[in-house]
Amino acid sequence: MKNEEINDVLEKAGRALPDPSPATLQRIADSIKPSLRPVRPLPTAWAMTAGLVMICATVSLAGASRAGFFGLEKMGILERLLIFPALVILAWLAGSEFVHEMIPGSRRRISPGALLGLSSAALLAVFALLFRDYQTHHFISIGIVCLLTGLLHAIPAALFAWLLLRRGFAVNPISAGLVAGVLGGLAGVGMLELHCANFQAAHVLVWHIAVVPLSGAAGALVAWSLRFRAGSSARERTNPK
Amino acid sequence: MGARVCLAPKNNLREHTGIDNDCRKVFEPMCPDSNLDILMARYQQGDYGAATDLIGRTSPQLLRFFLAQSASRADADDLLQETWLRIHKVRHTYRASEPALPWFYAIARYVRVDHYRKSVRTTLGTTKLEAMSKEATAVPGKFDHVESLETLLAPLPESQREVIEMLKVAGMSLEEVARATSSSVGSVKQKAHRAYTKLRETMNATGFGKGQSGGLS
Repeated sequence: MKNEEINDVLEKAGRALPDPSPATLQRIADSIKPSLRPVRPLPTAWAMTAGLVMICATVSLAGASRAGFFGLEKMGILERLLIFPALVILAWLAGSEFVHEMIPGSRRRISPGALLGLSSAALLAVFALLFRDYQTHHFISIGIVCLLTGLLHAIPAALFAWLLLRRGFAVNPISAGLVAGVLGGLAGVGMLELHCANFQAAHVLVWHIAVVPLSGAAGALVAWSLRFRAGSSARERTNPK
Repeated sequence: MGARVCLAPKNNLREHTGIDNDCRKVFEPMCPDSNLDILMARYQQGDYGAATDLIGRTSPQLLRFFLAQSASRADADDLLQETWLRIHKVRHTYRASEPALPWFYAIARYVRVDHYRKSVRTTLGTTKLEAMSKEATAVPGKFDHVESLETLLAPLPESQREVIEMLKVAGMSLEEVARATSSSVGSVKQKAHRAYTKLRETMNATGFGKGQSGGLS
């Protein structure tokens, strides 16, 4: 069979499907009528994205100002010029994707998984290029502290980001959770770069970058558990026992 | 964004939505020249006429979407109503600069997946007898059509089935399907291509094109 013949068969089959009854349409119209009032549309995508990037920058700066800007002070011009613009670009990309996740029917430029991979790979490339000290002193003990610090800053960044976009509607909550986690993770990495003066390559490549995938995974897990709980409570309402 | 007269296939909304039937008596379009995007903007401003017009225009497509995904007529009606409640709740998320149809379908898709998840869980705790009785009480005669499309799309995986439904039954463009399914245009093309390959194989194997001219018309 040719494509045109298949098209024809599918279109005929589609046309043969029934329409909704007038009673159903009337019932739908009646159900929305009592609560029909003007609503304020969401702001433009770029304004929301800018707000998300501001949140990330604020969380990073607030964390570093409390803990100290030791990393920033130790960095050279080249490091500052490569690391922070890279973080801002990635945060803008993640913020933009988070906005699109919260608006149904938006055009998707990059999938959440690809965003996570791209963010991690880009940071790996930048850090591998800049940090050439291959010693590993107190690799795990210091690394765990940095990882936890990064994650502790990722949480408020992701929460504030969600608060900013709370009027949105995620048609795929797990993807939205993953992207929010990546965005928060980038804020966490930003804080670590401002604060951490340990420039050993292995430390930065492993423990600083690990904040992004771990935060993303945590975001997806939280979204999944919230959806699971919502489904369970709906089931209990339907089938009370 | 340029104004589009209609998003339905061949720019013929009447043919596509079957608006000549009884629905039209109840939901006579109040502004026949306006498109869905404009109606959505008016709906956001609390215009009841625009809301009923939108319901009349998009519900047939959404119902077909649910029916094509193997839902029974009763389930499809419930899903349609649930979709509209959800649309009403999140109507502020529609942006006037974006096409409306992918926005509708993205929400319909969410409702269908959510319904499917809940029904899978609920089914574990209920008997098959209940499902059988539901089917027995369904509106007679309406499954003939549904089974036709269902039979056609049955060999396809879920993701390919919904892409084919949106492209060929709802008449959406690749870009619109990509938006509705939160994927890229390339991914939609790939799914459509694979679906057509599978459909061709199945139809050739069953001799569909030979001597079955009136089967689906």
